[in-house]
Amino acid sequence: MRYDSITEAIGNTPLVRIDPAVHGLRNIDLYAKLEMLNPFGSVKDRPAWHMARPHLEAAADGDGTVVELSSGNTAKALALLAGMHGARFKSVTNRMRVPEIKELLLLLGAEIEELPGRSECLDPTDTDDPLTHFHRALSDPGSTYLHTDQYFNPRNVEAHAEGTGPEIVKDLDGRVPDWFIACVGTAGSSTGVARVLREHDPRVRVLGLVAHKSDFIPGIRTIDEVHQVGLFDPATYDTIESVTSDEAIDGMLTLIRRCGMLSGPTGGAAYQGAVRRLRYADAELDGTGQRRTAVFIVCDRAESYLSYVRQRRPELLGRTARGHSAAAVTDAEAHAEARVIDVDDARRWSAEGDPRPLVVDLRSPHAYAALHIEGSLNIVDEVFEDLLRGGLPFSKRTPVLLACPVGEKSLRYAAALTRMGHPDVRSLAGGIVAWRDAGAPLVRE
Amino acid sequence: MDVPLYLRPRVEPPLAALLTDRPFLHSLADALGSPLNVLLPEAVAENAARFRAVYRRHHLTGRVYFAHKANRSSALLRRLAAEDPAAVGVDVASTEELRHALGCGFTGDRIMATGPKDAAFLWLAARVGATVNLDSPGELERLSGLVRAHGLGRVAVLVRLSGFESAAGRGGAGTRLLSRRSRFGTPVRDTEELLSALERNADTVEFAGAAYHLDTTGVEEKARALEQCVLVMDECRARGLAPRALDIGGGFGVGYVAEAEEWERWTTALTEAVLGVRPPLTWRGHGYGLRNEGGTVRGAAALYPAYRPTAGPGYLDELLSLPAPVLGRPPATLLLEHLHDLYIEPGRSLVDQCGLSLARVLDVRLADTDAGRYLVHLAMNAGDMSLEEHGVLVDPVLLPRGEAVSGDEEPVGVHLTGNLCLEGDLITRRLVFLPRLPRAGDLLAFVNTAGYAMDFHAHHAQRQPVARTVAVERRGDSWRWCPDEDYWPITPLGGAVG
Repeated sequence: MRYDSITEAIGNTPLVRIDPAVHGLRNIDLYAKLEMLNPFGSVKDRPAWHMARPHLEAAADGDGTVVELSSGNTAKALALLAGMHGARFKSVTNRMRVPEIKELLLLLGAEIEELPGRSECLDPTDTDDPLTHFHRALSDPGSTYLHTDQYFNPRNVEAHAEGTGPEIVKDLDGRVPDWFIACVGTAGSSTGVARVLREHDPRVRVLGLVAHKSDFIPGIRTIDEVHQVGLFDPATYDTIESVTSDEAIDGMLTLIRRCGMLSGPTGGAAYQGAVRRLRYADAELDGTGQRRTAVFIVCDRAESYLSYVRQRRPELLGRTARGHSAAAVTDAEAHAEARVIDVDDARRWSAEGDPRPLVVDLRSPHAYAALHIEGSLNIVDEVFEDLLRGGLPFSKRTPVLLACPVGEKSLRYAAALTRMGHPDVRSLAGGIVAWRDAGAPLVRE
Repeated sequence: MDVPLYLRPRVEPPLAALLTDRPFLHSLADALGSPLNVLLPEAVAENAARFRAVYRRHHLTGRVYFAHKANRSSALLRRLAAEDPAAVGVDVASTEELRHALGCGFTGDRIMATGPKDAAFLWLAARVGATVNLDSPGELERLSGLVRAHGLGRVAVLVRLSGFESAAGRGGAGTRLLSRRSRFGTPVRDTEELLSALERNADTVEFAGAAYHLDTTGVEEKARALEQCVLVMDECRARGLAPRALDIGGGFGVGYVAEAEEWERWTTALTEAVLGVRPPLTWRGHGYGLRNEGGTVRGAAALYPAYRPTAGPGYLDELLSLPAPVLGRPPATLLLEHLHDLYIEPGRSLVDQCGLSLARVLDVRLADTDAGRYLVHLAMNAGDMSLEEHGVLVDPVLLPRGEAVSGDEEPVGVHLTGNLCLEGDLITRRLVFLPRLPRAGDLLAFVNTAGYAMDFHAHHAQRQPVARTVAVERRGDSWRWCPDEDYWPITPLGGAVG
């Protein structure tokens, strides 16, 4: 396939059947619409291009900023599209909750603006939410913002009514699936696809999935949040159910480990929510000899959600410690194995010792620059931890005095170095704080 | 009948035990009238200890300053004055609060003077050796002028900084974390002017450190501000100044509602009510700031997040542990490594579970026959117990006067109306569900009102009585009480008994 522009590669994603041995439904064929195979990596490539295209083509001189409320895939697609057209992209968001996505957006050249948190000392007469201020800024005369407005823009729905929906019907040989399952974020994909499917066959049942209220699943809104979405119309859905982040990760694992689909948590939520719902329908179909079809959307890929998984299921990403590590030293072991030295003795040792000890300050470079023991060397604890993995960073003939703020971290490192065979490492008791409190001199850069 | 949408309060041991002693609470209200505020001075000391435990966990030193504005009680202040002077102080925001703190036993060195200050406030703070938390370079000049004119000694000062958003250039390219604008403090970008003023006035003021307070629940914004202050203090050291403390203000929050589920169910129902898909949950369909625009909900609910999974000391712990945006080290590590003391100024969270407000039920009548809702008229008004003013939604606890008659244990939705002759005098605009219909003579106990809700808005409108306040203490099997103004942490309550 040969294209002139990457945007031509948007859409026409595959519809892949899930092996019945995986989902266990006896009478229902379950298909995944692999939207993660769009060129920018998600289902949002379609609406992003459809919404931004008129703006970008109109502002062909490249003087403009595309702006959108998004902390995820829409932002990613818009950033790339803006870049291709010489425009800038600004993402406005409540909180970037997935750090890799934030970094990725910065890599793509996006600007990110994070809205303030709620007021702690509430003013009940101030009912303007940050979004109201955002919209006011956009409508300023002379603003060069190109607002794609994904939560209200009908072109978001159209992108799916013209693309995603007809593709599903075509791939099912002109038939409409009996169920369509989608997670509700901007409601664009579910509304657009549902519209097309219903036009073909009004008997299709549409299941909308939202996130459990106190929970967070990327790209999915909670039941309260969907009501703030202009495109959301409850009548689109026959049923709205909630899923938890735990279920989303379970579903994602099934798709990854058993189906070869590198789905992210949003696709996992759609799969898990679909199977949970279809199980009842499947039981009713037993013995009738009828077969049914269901389609769900795999929204995006897994790689950007490692920290999301680490936070919720650290055991899935468990790593074993390698090499020497102060973290492997318990409190009791540190106290038993490390030598400590109090401030008075440490002053004498560093002034008169033969040889004099190397003083290592484990605090951050900023704190070190502000105040430190004269002649000390600064190796911040994180770097020191890495150094130890490689082996002893000093000669065994050089005595070492380790210092940290209160003498706790230095004690662990002293124990770790002792284990590695260093004969004379001591930890400064009470740390730099005790040193200062004793009136011992500290210098600054 | 509606399904009862409770928002039952979080009640912890000392307060929970007090609520079970109905005869005692009724006898107090009988003797002292309604409304009545009841305080538990012991609980405030326990809260201070919880904050101190967070300091210990992070190896931090420095004082916890109680934000006096949260409650005007003498008992609470005197109880805190009895704590370790190196650990607990008080933050005062007016001349009267300063006089009160001194009268309650705080020495000047344990007092932090904050907020807008007139000459009398500055003079008294300087005279007694309080630390002055300066709002602007102008205030610094006024203070210095007073010190010179009246031959006062050098005054310890903190400088309050603000506008950390503009410092985002250092916070990583491409990302801007917005914050609400504050009317207090000196913008970080103007610190140069401030520092030269401090150097110029070195004979009158001793620069003790920096301060900030952000009105937000967002820990990320606070971590950024904390880090910016540490960086400013580095600059100060480089110029030869010797700051040693960072005051991070308050705003640690309180969880008012016990169950997350009840809070979630209620807020979802509010959205539905605003959309018109369920009957209103409030007096005249009030939406608390949410509005229906063509089937889409717009606006933000002006409500305090009444259910908080982490609040108070837990919130401080979270803030101290969150990696800061520029240097990547958690705030606790930054403070420790830079050898700074940590000052905090909790108000609401330090008086969590420290008190309740009692109101007598005067009259109960049917408001709306079809819906089975009632108006419950209380001997109290919205000024006495300003839950609504602070956006706090939580149920009162019903304390019947007599024993329950079988058959009336049916949950009921009521509107709580106040004693002023004003349409708007509702204790809360929310439809409150109680486990059964109250009767005239019963008491409603609004718990956990000691932080801002108890006397912040109290007034003498229509010559209605302002609540009296008593301190109570458990002694053996019974509760003892005394008027707030007569409490001292040394004598047993209720005279020489015991």
